[in-house]
Amino acid sequence: MTRNTEHVSEFQLALRSFKKNRLAVCCAMILFIFYAGAIFADFLSPYSYRNEDRNYSYCPPTPVRFFDEGKWVGPYIYGQTLTFNEFYRRVYQTDTTRRFPVRLFVQGDEYKLLGLIPSRLHLVGVQEGARLYLIGADSRGRDLWSRILYGAQISLSIGLIGVLISFSIGLIVGGVAGFYGGWIDNVLMRLCEMVMMVPGFYLLLALRAAVPDDFNSVQIYFAIVVILSFIGWAGLARIIRGMCLSLREREYVLAAKSLGLSDFKIILRHILPHTVSYSIAAVMLSIPGYILGESALSLIGLGIQDPYASWGNLLSDNMSIVRIKFAPWILWPGVFIFLTVISFNIIGDTLRDCLDPMMKAERK
Amino acid sequence: MNPKRIPNQPLLKILQIPNSFWGSLFCKNIIGFFILFLSWAAFLPLSTAENTHPFRYGGKLVLTTTSDPKSFNEIIAKEVSTSEITAYLFEGLTRVNAVDLKVEPHLARSWKISPDGLTWIFHLRRDVKWFDGFQFNADDVVFTFNELIYNLNIPTSSRDIFTINGQTPKVEKIDDFTVKFTLQSKFAPFLWVMSQPILPKHKLEKTVTERKFNFTWGIDTDPREIIGTGPYKLAKYVPGQQIILERNPLYWRKSVDGDQLPYINKIIYLIVQSADVELLKFLEGSIDYYVLRGMDFSLLKPLEKNDDFTIYDMGPSSSSNFITFNLNPGINPKTNKPFVDPIKLSWFSKLEFRQAVAHVIDKQKIIEIVKNKLGYPQSSAMTEGAGFFNNTNVVQYDYDLTKAKELLQKAGFIDRNQDGILEDSQGHDIEFNLYTNADNTERVDIAAIIRHDLEKLGMKINFQPLEFNILVSKLNSTFEWEAIVLGLTGGVEPHFGRNVWASTGQLHLWYPKQTTPATSWEKRLDEIFDLGVQELDENKRKVFYDEFQAIVAEKLPLIYTVLSAKLSAVRNKFENLNPTNFGGVFHNLEEIYIKKEYR
Repeated sequence: MTRNTEHVSEFQLALRSFKKNRLAVCCAMILFIFYAGAIFADFLSPYSYRNEDRNYSYCPPTPVRFFDEGKWVGPYIYGQTLTFNEFYRRVYQTDTTRRFPVRLFVQGDEYKLLGLIPSRLHLVGVQEGARLYLIGADSRGRDLWSRILYGAQISLSIGLIGVLISFSIGLIVGGVAGFYGGWIDNVLMRLCEMVMMVPGFYLLLALRAAVPDDFNSVQIYFAIVVILSFIGWAGLARIIRGMCLSLREREYVLAAKSLGLSDFKIILRHILPHTVSYSIAAVMLSIPGYILGESALSLIGLGIQDPYASWGNLLSDNMSIVRIKFAPWILWPGVFIFLTVISFNIIGDTLRDCLDPMMKAERK
Repeated sequence: MNPKRIPNQPLLKILQIPNSFWGSLFCKNIIGFFILFLSWAAFLPLSTAENTHPFRYGGKLVLTTTSDPKSFNEIIAKEVSTSEITAYLFEGLTRVNAVDLKVEPHLARSWKISPDGLTWIFHLRRDVKWFDGFQFNADDVVFTFNELIYNLNIPTSSRDIFTINGQTPKVEKIDDFTVKFTLQSKFAPFLWVMSQPILPKHKLEKTVTERKFNFTWGIDTDPREIIGTGPYKLAKYVPGQQIILERNPLYWRKSVDGDQLPYINKIIYLIVQSADVELLKFLEGSIDYYVLRGMDFSLLKPLEKNDDFTIYDMGPSSSSNFITFNLNPGINPKTNKPFVDPIKLSWFSKLEFRQAVAHVIDKQKIIEIVKNKLGYPQSSAMTEGAGFFNNTNVVQYDYDLTKAKELLQKAGFIDRNQDGILEDSQGHDIEFNLYTNADNTERVDIAAIIRHDLEKLGMKINFQPLEFNILVSKLNSTFEWEAIVLGLTGGVEPHFGRNVWASTGQLHLWYPKQTTPATSWEKRLDEIFDLGVQELDENKRKVFYDEFQAIVAEKLPLIYTVLSAKLSAVRNKFENLNPTNFGGVFHNLEEIYIKKEYR
């Protein structure tokens, strides 16, 4: 019992030292905001991810104005029409005759909040006749901001689900291999090495090629998650196995054995919990790999398919330097990927440092 | 002494022996001196006195290609990357004038046709030499046809072109410079197909008897071994980096005022990874020519003056983009399952369904979004670039979603259970897979736009860009697809589209290699192509091919979308440019020369 309470306090200790690291807390906040944005994407985005208006191809960010002839009238925008200049460059003419006020809590595209509650309520929006592009539009006049929010649902969840699957596999395989040793260990570790032997990205491509062509988008999403997890588990399994090799010699494992506990319960209750401190840091550090993996697949057109958005396929619009030159806002998804990846990495590093003293204490 | 005759290769070898013995610096200097002397001497004969414009010679043309040639063997070449290079090396008896699209004499001086239209006699030029100095004559022509093209051991697509109603023309030598072709039936585009490049008998005869021809002139061949009659010969090929072509000093063609052609000394192809790299290279000035895509125009046009280049607009390209549905009722012999689900096949077979899809294609917006407003809507199977044979008077389908909805309703596709998805009369949801090739981003964009509008109509579409090879295998061998957005490159001569339009054709995408025509209109298309090829009067031919275009537009086996504009940026260093829609910028390359200040 006393040992149990001690454990909790150790985690509290770690949490305390984590809180002291301002950068890490800052990153945690960023991630919190991103994930919240992803969950409430339907509500926060002005438009649906597939709401396109071809008259606004690569429309630049709409300037939101507050004053009309020096008088405060609240936020509003003007309508815009697409023209091409003599160089066939897109030029948007602003129509100043009519103001379109930017309103909060407006009715817009239909959606189901959290997949359950049907609603039409959007945080911001303007009425028909003009379109609000907070950071610009893509080639078919879809709102990039909305698409980034929807893309976050896919890009951020792929990391979490992927890590969940691959760590479950990694922990179990590593735990079993380490606990039993002998030929089981041998077989499982050689299997790990076979997975690790093939360069990750090529394995990704090869597995992707095996996915049937007639999958719909949801099936492709899950296929990608499974593929990414398949690549990620081997490294972890090897480390967990190493830890288990030493843990299984401990007295409490012997005690559990002599009490007649089943092997599976021993691994699950007495061995794996001791690898948690390492695992948590490793999870944090490996999530970016999944996000980048999905982005890379989508970037080359093999991942999430249009019209669904992911940060990777939004970024694939940037494969042409000319498009970046004329519509630089299409680089935004890259900024989000960058922030997410660096946040996970900083949090992972900090967590490892914070949890380290605990691991030392355990070794004593 | 004519410096050309100096046997410079052996001389260097003799000098290299003492070098390898002593390895002295002194000796190396002597060799260096000799090399210097020889290379200086080698450049002398270029400005021969007989040319009226000696100052036009020299300079180089730097181009790019995004893929390596797979071989230099013209006969077995399949890829554009190969034929692009071999086009400089080999020539045919005739060629198509890129300005007026008429066939003109090339290696053949003239020809005669018998009154029944079956016997053609070609008189060859007597001043044509192969790169190695051998005389070009009738034996080479006979060899190219009888031993190479008609040789069943050699996989060549040329054989299909010369197979007319299952038979190939008989080729005979009459004398050293006269060749007779005997056809079994009349063949209108015969002069067109006579642009088939001729290969040297003296070089290749042995490889054919030894059955090594299929491996001859691969990419690892010594460039000097590749012998043609063209204006340029291969000088160097470094895989993944560059291909260098050198002026053929023995070339037979002379300009109107007697200049020995060609003028430009060297053509260099840089092999680059992507079109974006090409653009950067063009902007930095290291290449002379760049083919514009969509938005490039907005970037390059303002730079035209400062960066000293010109953008040429050559009108609509001939590369179509279309959507097509699988109408193949066949059964896969391996799995015993139909290629297409019979329910879906029944939808696709309904004309109203295809008409509705045609009304869904927002050509104007596709041009604006995908082609940056630099494109043309397409409605005929023969594009505007085909000139004479283009029929503009065909059914047009404007972008009209309500009309599309009405058509679908008429054909029994109604949303019966109010779930937002159309159902057929048996209550099956209208859902199908749409493929396109992933490497063509413009096509992916076109497909995505069409898909969006089809979904607006209430169809459920699983859109999947695939790797090109996978797509081709679906089209050619497994036949398991439902709808595809794809492109084909059209030409000027309608008969060459026979492999697409005849019901027996390999490329009859929607239902290839039929034993008997599946529909009455496909039967009529077969008739048109059989009659059209036998008609030697151009105007009477046009009537046939106009009807074919009208049928295609009405029955919509392929539903056309848009064509890009053919735009190229060329550095202002060339004189005598005459870009045309058919030939592009460098179709008259031999006559083009480089302005003195750019050399």
